[in-house]
Amino acid sequence: MKRKLIAAIGVAGMMVSIAACGTDNGGDKGDAGKKSEGGNKTLTVWVMDGSAPDAWMEGVNKEFEAKHPGVKVKVEKQVWNGIQEKVTTALSEDTPPDVLELGNTQTAGYAVTGGLADLTGDKDKLGYADWNKGMVASSELDGKLYSAPWYAANRVVIYDKAAFKKAGVTPPKTRTEWIDGLKKLKASDPKSQAIYLPGQSWYVLAGFIWDEGSDLAVKDGDKWKGNLSSPEAVNAMNFYKELASYSTAPKDKDEATPQQSTDIVPKGGVSSWIGLGWEAGGAIDAIKKAGKTADFGYFPIPGKTADKPGSVFFGGSNLAISERSQNKDLAKEWLALAAGKDQMTKYAQATEGGLLPNSDAAQFKPAAGSFAEAMAASSVSGKITPVTPGWANVETAPNPIKDYMTKVLKGEDAKAAAEAADKVINERINQQ
Amino acid sequence: MTVDSQGTANAAPQDAPGRAAGKSQTPPPAPSGSKEVLQPSRGRRSLPSGLLPYLLVAPALLSMAVLLLYPLIRNVILSFQELNRKEFITRETVWTGFDNYTELLGDSEFWTVVVRSVVFTAVNVFLIMVIGAGIGLLLDRLGKKMRLLLSLALVFAWAMPIVASVTVFRWLFDEQFGVVNWLMRTLGFSGYEQHNWFETGFSTLVICLILLVWGSVPFVALNMYAGLTTIGTELYEAAKMDGASGWRTFWAVVFPNLKPFFMITTFLEIIWIFKAFTQVYAMNLGGPDRASETLPVFAYIEGVGQFHYGVAAAISVLTILMLVALMSFYFRLILKQEDEL
Amino acid sequence: MSSTIAPAPQKLRTRKKITAGSVAKNVSALLIAAVFIFPVYWMFSSSLKPQHEIMTKDPVFFFEPTFENYTTATGVDLFWTYVRNSLTVTVCAVLLALLIALAASFALARIRFKGRKGILLVVMMAQMAPWEVMVIAMYMISRDNDMLNSIPMLTAIYFVMVLPFTIWTLRGFIAAVPVELEEAAQIDGCTRGQAFRKVIFPLLAPGLMSTSIFGFITAWNEFAMILMLNKERESQTLTVWLTQFQTAFGNDWGATMAASTLFALPVLIVFIFVQRKAVGGMTAGAVKG
Repeated sequence: MKRKLIAAIGVAGMMVSIAACGTDNGGDKGDAGKKSEGGNKTLTVWVMDGSAPDAWMEGVNKEFEAKHPGVKVKVEKQVWNGIQEKVTTALSEDTPPDVLELGNTQTAGYAVTGGLADLTGDKDKLGYADWNKGMVASSELDGKLYSAPWYAANRVVIYDKAAFKKAGVTPPKTRTEWIDGLKKLKASDPKSQAIYLPGQSWYVLAGFIWDEGSDLAVKDGDKWKGNLSSPEAVNAMNFYKELASYSTAPKDKDEATPQQSTDIVPKGGVSSWIGLGWEAGGAIDAIKKAGKTADFGYFPIPGKTADKPGSVFFGGSNLAISERSQNKDLAKEWLALAAGKDQMTKYAQATEGGLLPNSDAAQFKPAAGSFAEAMAASSVSGKITPVTPGWANVETAPNPIKDYMTKVLKGEDAKAAAEAADKVINERINQQ
Repeated sequence: MTVDSQGTANAAPQDAPGRAAGKSQTPPPAPSGSKEVLQPSRGRRSLPSGLLPYLLVAPALLSMAVLLLYPLIRNVILSFQELNRKEFITRETVWTGFDNYTELLGDSEFWTVVVRSVVFTAVNVFLIMVIGAGIGLLLDRLGKKMRLLLSLALVFAWAMPIVASVTVFRWLFDEQFGVVNWLMRTLGFSGYEQHNWFETGFSTLVICLILLVWGSVPFVALNMYAGLTTIGTELYEAAKMDGASGWRTFWAVVFPNLKPFFMITTFLEIIWIFKAFTQVYAMNLGGPDRASETLPVFAYIEGVGQFHYGVAAAISVLTILMLVALMSFYFRLILKQEDEL
Repeated sequence: MSSTIAPAPQKLRTRKKITAGSVAKNVSALLIAAVFIFPVYWMFSSSLKPQHEIMTKDPVFFFEPTFENYTTATGVDLFWTYVRNSLTVTVCAVLLALLIALAASFALARIRFKGRKGILLVVMMAQMAPWEVMVIAMYMISRDNDMLNSIPMLTAIYFVMVLPFTIWTLRGFIAAVPVELEEAAQIDGCTRGQAFRKVIFPLLAPGLMSTSIFGFITAWNEFAMILMLNKERESQTLTVWLTQFQTAFGNDWGATMAASTLFALPVLIVFIFVQRKAVGGMTAGAVKG
């Protein structure tokens, strides 16, 4: 479920789907592959709601349409809810969307179905060399390229400055400092939650597991197997449990039910929480609507030692082209443009660093004290879930990792519960 | 409609020249021409028919054949295939024989779900029928204004979109902001500061049950009331004069008269509850730890959620077979009642 | 037709006395009404609340109502397209079902013919169709016949979805009309068709109406098919609109509830319009008038 992973900005005016019109009859006939002689072609692009600031998208399409007269770009915004079913069926149709955004944890799952166009031969055109290596990993499978990385984001700790000040706590650099701070917060205001951490924030747990040098699942021969029951992963879960003991959040819910940003934090009584950029933005808006002002600070999730921030899940999206696309060459042109350095630089600016663009060169320098700054600082420890087509199966509801976390938080033995969860993961991860 | 219409084989089964078969009665020479028939006879007399009945029934059967039977057959065919995301997208056909079935039938999880569904349905339908009939009787006995009020409340509940009602019920029982927890606190019970109503599969199913009963009772109650109005006052009065208690009146007068109603409604409710998906799935996604999954939820999670469409089809076929088996005695009852009409 | 509930007033008058029994009756009626209305009330009141008062530790009962949520809900792109599609699909499906079912149920209720029971069985079984799971098969059929994103296809599916139930109930209503009436008419020189049109049909009006409401609710609320078959926004219906306020950015509960309230309105209107005529539609009393 990577629906939580979205832009920090442009939240408000997101409803309007842009059917960027205006064909600038700019004259020069594009030198692109397949020229659309006279014929009016439409390039359909599926992006997720909130991924792309409207203005940026319009800019990309204007430029594209100017280069390719007679071609129109039709952007259709999708919602994350039920997107997997929708994409799956769409890819089976004769006229699928030409370009589509896919969550990075799901890309491999589609690549293996043959529904995505193989882009290996277009690496140069697409600007492969410039891409952030950490992000490219999710676009590739068995040495072939199936999509262009687009953007990524990760979680940081968001805190209430006033509460921290009152308790005399400063942003921690290590786990020990973090826990000490939570103790102080609890002592200074027993009625508030020192941290709001629902029981099923499994991306947070994944970070702790990576901190231990381990992973959610490991490759064993040519099969994958769940790794939650490894001693490292159990340690990670124990740390999660310790953290959660400073929270009264539900043990059987994730951060989206109820939505921590808009349903929990604005009601007060939360000194810190772990979230994404758009969540921070959503909370600030909601607090403003209720007639108050938010005063948030941000810091990377602390690591085990002070020299490196804690590992975080690199959520993000890739842009792929469907195998059955009727306009593959045009789609590649569009992709090269949108995911190219120029447009990505503009993209980073438009999102004010709230989302990391696909190349370091396009990175926007975030403002001091902003969410983006903390995010950029912790992105050095960014990682992604195991890259295998079967991973998408693990994430689908009921997610065994979530059930495992709830069990442990309710007092079950971590090792035994982890073994049960691993069993489910083994079953799912090796299916395609 | 383009879907090809080959499946019409059963559209007009016997073109046999009309003249009703079976236990048909020959039409008695038209009874009195007068309109003052007090006790309307429900007798069905076969009027001259010929091809007419088949012509009348043909459009209905034809459309069901094309848009119901044909997809159903496709569904059965799918259940013998391995149809995962890959095969689905590449439009490949991979036959696996009975693999989907043997896998399912050998899965203890599947049987747990089956038993759970059956029990869940039974309890649900029982409550719905009892409460629905009770409210129907109450409606019949109320004054005009009260009756209007109560039936309006029922209608409102009925008209509420399912998406909204599930959301509202989830709110009501929410751990942190639930009205129910608030109510318990206000009433002075302790331990409801943050009581989790979805703690176990059982408690989750209980809440699903409340939602389903709440949503289904209006249908039963309103129809029950409508049915009651068909029982002539005379019958009531007669029973009363005999000094029958309310309870006895019910069994002696109401029940026999409304037996067809009870049968059909129970039949429909069993089907509807057994197939209820949104209410159970959206309540807690089949959790915690898959303990509140009923058959349709199981089919969704195992099949559609994990993109094993072949398995999903197999589950649905098994579901239908089970329903038919469960219902067969019902079919017979209803058909028998047909004869009595 | 409004005088159909003949026996009721009489019953009323005899029971007007205030007794312990009648108090208990009325009190329980009030309680039951409260239980049934509460979730609906909660939906409606939430639709009028500002966002921060919707989910609170102690529920908010008094607040300053705002219509902001309604503006959000109806201000959605293509809102009127959804309305039009929903109405078209639902109304057409229900009318078509009524028409076809009327013919079939007349035959099933009035004429003895070979295969009648078999057909009844088919109709009964058809009600058990697992539409939610048949979505995949239906999708593949539509895809291979180029019927995706098509309003007529959706209408046809909904039509068949409600058809068995419609046949079943209508048959009951027709059976309730005494044969003698029909026969009398025929003696008076009507043809069979005329007898049906002039005698049975008017008596069936309540039955037609109350049957249509079931079909209406089913088709109006349908979700699984539309989501799968009609991906293009221009061909989607209001059910899709209902869920679009729960986005990754946070759930706009106010707008969801406002949308739900509006969504429930047509059903309510249809019902209240139909109710007076429908309840008691089965009354044998109709004959006595």
